[in-house]
Amino acid sequence: MNYDMAMIDALDARAKRRENRREFFKTAGGAAVAVAGASALAACGDDDNDNDTVGTPAPPTSTTPPPPPPAAAAIGDPEILNFALNLEYLEAEFYSYAVYGTGLSETLRTGTGTRGQVTPGRRVAFTDPLVAQYALEIAQDEIAHVAFLRTALGSAAVAEPAIDIGSGPANAFSAAARAAGLVGAGQAFDPYATDENFLLASFLFEDVGVTAYKGASPLITNRTFLEAAAGILAAEAYHAGLIRTILYRKGLDTPSLRAATVSISNARDSLDGATDIDQGIIGTADVSNIVPTDANGIAFSRNTGQVLNIVYLNSAAVTTGGFFPAGVNGVIQRSQQN
Amino acid sequence: MTDETVMIDVMESRAKRREERRDLFRMLGGKALAGGTAALAATAATAQTAAPTDADILNFALNLEYLEAQFYSFAAFGMGLTNADLGGTGTRGEVVGGRQVAFQDPIVRQYAREIAADELAHVRFLRSAGALGSAAVAQPAIDIRGGVGSPFGNAAAAAGLPANFDPYASDNNFLLGAFIFEDVGVTAYKGASPLLTSRVFLEAAAGILAVEAYHAAIVRTVLYARGVATPSPADAGVASSALVGATEAISDARDSLDGTLDRDQGVRPIPTGAGAPAAQSATATNIVPLDANGIAFSRTGGQVLNVVYLNRAAVSQGGFFPAGVNGTIRTSAAS
Repeated sequence: MNYDMAMIDALDARAKRRENRREFFKTAGGAAVAVAGASALAACGDDDNDNDTVGTPAPPTSTTPPPPPPAAAAIGDPEILNFALNLEYLEAEFYSYAVYGTGLSETLRTGTGTRGQVTPGRRVAFTDPLVAQYALEIAQDEIAHVAFLRTALGSAAVAEPAIDIGSGPANAFSAAARAAGLVGAGQAFDPYATDENFLLASFLFEDVGVTAYKGASPLITNRTFLEAAAGILAAEAYHAGLIRTILYRKGLDTPSLRAATVSISNARDSLDGATDIDQGIIGTADVSNIVPTDANGIAFSRNTGQVLNIVYLNSAAVTTGGFFPAGVNGVIQRSQQN
Repeated sequence: MTDETVMIDVMESRAKRREERRDLFRMLGGKALAGGTAALAATAATAQTAAPTDADILNFALNLEYLEAQFYSFAAFGMGLTNADLGGTGTRGEVVGGRQVAFQDPIVRQYAREIAADELAHVRFLRSAGALGSAAVAQPAIDIRGGVGSPFGNAAAAAGLPANFDPYASDNNFLLGAFIFEDVGVTAYKGASPLLTSRVFLEAAAGILAVEAYHAAIVRTVLYARGVATPSPADAGVASSALVGATEAISDARDSLDGTLDRDQGVRPIPTGAGAPAAQSATATNIVPLDANGIAFSRTGGQVLNVVYLNRAAVSQGGFFPAGVNGTIRTSAAS
């Protein structure tokens, strides 16, 4: 019944927000993190009217014990935008290599935290000229998202961490494909080899981006950033709708494509916890399932921990793995323990 | 922040938002906009101090969802919503027009059914006790007829399409009819996002925003693919070869209604700029209508009403809502 589901969803959403804040306190111990956090936030300032504060630890001396972790530190807008920036780096690099054969320019990759290298992709030789056009459009959008978030964050922007978008059997795409049963043990999934592989790799990312921005939406306090995040959420949903629509149409002739989306979706669900919040594109004989929604026609949310489960390719609470071999940058680093 | 560029961007965004809030407040002042007397101006000034509540915003959205749900429900299933989903506060109206499309492409039929199910779910969610409950507005009078003199016909004529445009006559016509609504829904929910105060409703609205964007992507992708396909898919309505141009014309018509900014976009491909790195394709598609930051656009409530009332002036009824929408946000912007 709608009332029950709406209330349950509402309560779930609140519970997840409290979970995120507790996760932050668990990982933010230690003066080093606090100092980094404090300087970034000091650069950004806090221009909303809530009570988020950043603890400023006392400078350590040889005669005083290390300062306690800042108890008042919380996940604020800069932390959330930086989390999103990590994901945009990943998407932008993937599409940039697939379309241009090169990665992001150096000026879009600098910042705070540990700068990493990209295990690269390569240019796709698209056989369908329409797919080449769609890929170019999406690449331009994702690069624009990186640029926008970096501008919004200014000197607080995190650097691009190490990213693995390679195509060999030991790389992240292959691990993801094996988890989804698309290739066998030790086999490679090369997202740059064919149009179909490129589309399935895109599918892997795009729905996750939607759920990530939706999950973050109630956490952003500054109304300007909130509206911008809503605009990026919309863009990612348009992308996901585009990719799923193409796969659905091509799946008419190649049913394995539709089945592959179900497999990838199930793999994502197996990583990010007990709830079933992911859907492939197979509906029924009469109705498509381009749009993954709950019973209210509403898109799903993922919290930051769940998003990291997927991109780290790990259902446990870890801080590195998968597409981010050294983890993401910023204070939101840890996947959810499922 | 100390970064000057960021400050400028943020200040510009805030200035725009203040403008949008003023638009909204003017709408709430209603007819006082029409250049009234001192007494009316005083009334308007009082009204302008009232910010829209979450209920006002959700009810505004509900009106639009009634419109979409009825259109898709008729197009996909040949029937509209039942009374159980239509009652509430304000003036209850009936839907006129609408019939089942004889889809030639079974995939387009599947999309129509899927979207219809989503829009009905949105109506029910917004009306549910967890959202508006007894504060939900009733469905106002809705006109989704096609043909000469109908809102769809008038909208089409404004876009240079035949004035007898009937969105139920063919696959292409259905897709163009859907195109008229879907991008508007995205911009409406995005515009509303910073105005909601409840974090629970904000997350729900974000989830509906996402779904409307998925829908718009379906419609735009299919319109573009049919528009450039060779051989060109046969259609009893607007020719497939004319679809891309038709989306541009409809987009221009929307832009002509909702103010001076030119933000709306059809699906014509966009050539890559001179300095861009070389890609396999010289043009990118434009399935996703975004600004230079890769961000979707917003419309204020007033601007949304300009489009659905098919009127660039500040009015409180017209177009698809012949008696206006229900609720407090009911006047289009003076554009």
